[in-house]
Amino acid sequence: MTRRSVQLAGVSKQFGSTRVIHDVNLRIEPGELVVFVGPSGCGKSTLLRLIAGLEEPSRGSIHISGRDVTHTHPSKRGVAMVFQSYALYPHMTVAENMGFGLKIQGTPREEIATRVRRAAEILQLEALLDRKPRALSGGQRQRVAIGRAIVREPDVFLFDEPLSNLDAALRGQMRVEIARLHARLGATMIYVTHDQVEAMTLASRIVVLNGGRIEQVGSPLELYHRPANLFVAGFLGSPRMNFLAARVVRAERGFLELDVAGGSMRVTRGHAQPAASGLSVGDLVTVGIRPERLSLQAMAPHPATPAPNDTDPQDVLALRGEVTLLERLGSEALAHIRSHGERGETLVAKLPGDLHLEPGAQVTLTTAASSCHVFDATGNAVDTQTPVNGPFVADSSSAPLNEASR
Amino acid sequence: MIYGSRTSGLLYLSPYLIGLAVFTLFPFVASLLLSFSDYRLQDSLGTAHLIGLENYRAILHDRTFGKSLIVTLIYVFVTVPLKLAFALFIAFVLNFRLRAIGAFRTAYYLPSILGGSVAIAVVWRYVFAGDGLINQALAWLGASPINWLGEPAYAMFSIVLLRLWQFGSAMVIFLAGLQGIPSDLYEAARLDGASPWQVFRRITLPLLTPVIFFNFIMQVIQAFQEFNGPYVITGGGPLKATYLLPLMIYEEAFKYFEVGYASALSWCLFVLVAIFTAIAFRSSKHWVFYAGEK
Amino acid sequence: MKGHLNTSLRYGVLIGVGFLMLYPLLWMAGGAFRPNHEIFNSIGFIPQHPTLEGFAKGWQTSTEYTFARYLLNTFAIIVPKVIVTVVSSVLVAFGFARFNVPGQRVLFGLLIATILLPKSVLLVPQYLMFREFGWLDTFLPLYVPSAFATEGFFVFMIIQFMRSFPADMEEAAVMDGCNSLQVLWHVVVPVILPAIISVALFQFMWSMNDFLSPLIYLSSVEKYPVALALKLSIDVTEATSWNQILAMSTIALAPSLILFFAAQKYFVEGITVGSVKG
Repeated sequence: MTRRSVQLAGVSKQFGSTRVIHDVNLRIEPGELVVFVGPSGCGKSTLLRLIAGLEEPSRGSIHISGRDVTHTHPSKRGVAMVFQSYALYPHMTVAENMGFGLKIQGTPREEIATRVRRAAEILQLEALLDRKPRALSGGQRQRVAIGRAIVREPDVFLFDEPLSNLDAALRGQMRVEIARLHARLGATMIYVTHDQVEAMTLASRIVVLNGGRIEQVGSPLELYHRPANLFVAGFLGSPRMNFLAARVVRAERGFLELDVAGGSMRVTRGHAQPAASGLSVGDLVTVGIRPERLSLQAMAPHPATPAPNDTDPQDVLALRGEVTLLERLGSEALAHIRSHGERGETLVAKLPGDLHLEPGAQVTLTTAASSCHVFDATGNAVDTQTPVNGPFVADSSSAPLNEASR
Repeated sequence: MIYGSRTSGLLYLSPYLIGLAVFTLFPFVASLLLSFSDYRLQDSLGTAHLIGLENYRAILHDRTFGKSLIVTLIYVFVTVPLKLAFALFIAFVLNFRLRAIGAFRTAYYLPSILGGSVAIAVVWRYVFAGDGLINQALAWLGASPINWLGEPAYAMFSIVLLRLWQFGSAMVIFLAGLQGIPSDLYEAARLDGASPWQVFRRITLPLLTPVIFFNFIMQVIQAFQEFNGPYVITGGGPLKATYLLPLMIYEEAFKYFEVGYASALSWCLFVLVAIFTAIAFRSSKHWVFYAGEK
Repeated sequence: MKGHLNTSLRYGVLIGVGFLMLYPLLWMAGGAFRPNHEIFNSIGFIPQHPTLEGFAKGWQTSTEYTFARYLLNTFAIIVPKVIVTVVSSVLVAFGFARFNVPGQRVLFGLLIATILLPKSVLLVPQYLMFREFGWLDTFLPLYVPSAFATEGFFVFMIIQFMRSFPADMEEAAVMDGCNSLQVLWHVVVPVILPAIISVALFQFMWSMNDFLSPLIYLSSVEKYPVALALKLSIDVTEATSWNQILAMSTIALAPSLILFFAAQKYFVEGITVGSVKG
């Protein structure tokens, strides 16, 4: 198995008059595990099928390791695919299923047997080789489907929502196995899912798709902490990010001052370049706050919130509201709070699990202005963002380019 | 699609395209042309003349045709509703969780598999013969024998009964349809306080309409084409009482060699069937309920 | 108590109807083993004086050929007919279910229309056509059309069956390097085997029952299939030796009966796939 790059150049796909993929440009480096994620209908599976060769692009080209494969037969691209439904051949045994591709290509029988045995060993399928798929559990079928791909010794593995038919426990287990497999084989893998947990845990890089377009490409933490737009900000993270309407009160070199839900806050970091963001006084913006960045004022400061007393008071955003619902999850509690601002937006705060709080309580939520995200009227992030020296330095050093905003 | 070119798709369809052209469309058009001609079976094709609507005009004045049309319509209108109602009734009874449902299904299904055969028609002829099974049974009950195949009304009854006897295939389809209705719908209706009749009327019947429609169309088509029964059992008699249109078309063409006339008759049958299926399809919008729709 | 009564009533109806339904068949099979006078004198079906006379004489027939000849003729027609029907229907159904061909909707509409078209309309022109081909009094007109997927019902049945399976198994096969014919052979055919068996069985039964086509196309007695031979024998032996006719009817139905009992599930699957799932 050699490591191969995959490159999509200006790829579009149209079914009849419906355009499902819009001008996608993407380069996947050798050995990467790239996850395509997005809501259903975003085109992620179509994109995978284009790479597999099961669909032909209406425009653009696809290169694997520099070779143009746009019009190459799927079996000649050096790719193997694991299907959502597993797509095992019901009339063949596990061994026959895994060896079928080699048999069609005329590989000698002994070699097929060796390669099937090797793959079975990796996936602990040795005892099941003579069974038919119908006699296997869901997890075992999943393994056979992966085994079928391994036997082909492809340059690129394609996974189409492979875990969506498994129950939660098995899904967690298989996720770990796929990560291990990637580490062991080192092959390039492309993985499609709608599950952000899979995306966050497996990916070296995530590609967020929406409406057939790439919204953002980056490492999991980079997308989490520096979402390029409202869509990515809202899509990744559970519970999802809180969004509040705000207005620009001051826009000067070096900082922005926003009027949020009655309160105001100052975003002072040097990233905020009004010139670059094009914001001016009076503009409407959206402020995004992750639920875990909100804390109750009366309480001990949330570890992620800088202590308020050694900063300018305006670097802390305070919001008053009423608790409407409390969801206790054990280790934490999700508080739904209706703000007293003019719009009465409901915010969700992730608070410690043993908190004493009842619906109806009046509370003040605080968060550091530095952990707020600001999006302009078109939904794009104003590059204020997240503290380079915050508790999550990990990803900011590499800081890959934000492809969508280029 | 995944197999690439459209050419290979056409290649797979090619047997059908050839068959459609040679064995269906061409004969279909030829039949229409023949119906405007005076062609007779033994003549060479070149000698035929086009005689316009002459055959159709003759049909209008043909008393045999009038008789045949009436008995055909009676046959269709009696057999189709009775057969469907009976099939639905038995399917409904079978659908209760009874034991040996498989054995009953087999017993009821068997006649419709064999029923079209000449062997069955032959047996039927003996069952209804003067000293046949039915008359023996009547004698055993103390009743006087009936001349089943000699009296027009009784002769019709005997071939109608042969078709009703084959209700099994419609029943199997109904049964599959009934079994396809999710049981939670019944439970929900019961919880809502519906009586068994209301459940049947409001739940079962509406959900079964697609299957009823399918069965109805298939039965109408088949009934209009019945040939073996009357040909073997009654020969169309007595007094043309069972002279169904397909039988008349066959005799005109292959017994009297009047190909032109037979073709015109076959087009009358075709138009008749087309009208009935068109009405059925048109009306289906109003009474057939497809679960997928809103 | 009411439930018990209901259940017994249901069984009563089912058993009663079933018995009446099967009685003609029992009477036929019983009559085949009875002497003639016994058939006329009792309505029971169990032979009091069992005899093979009906079979022995019936087998000889009133013609110069034995019944074996007619059975062989029947199979000489049916075997090729079933084979070409299955092959052509599968190929065409695959083309319809898995390819995008220009005009496909119209072609599919025509397929359905041919199912609804009364065969009498095509009868005479087809006869004239086969006469021009010089195929009269041969078996060719009886099975050659089936090689061109002319029985729309079978094509429709297989299309429905194929559509009930997701295409991703076939996509996996394509990625494994199969061309479409290999996918069809290695993956589709094994998966739709139940439908193929149903088609074969139905075509077998229907051809066994077919009477009109051999009646038109075959003129020499030596080529008669069972259906024509039976009709011939009632015309000749009428009213005299019922046991012979009943015995031969029993033999004529035997292949269908055996197949039906051996493969009942395929018959049920076959007719329901086109109707309920459609």
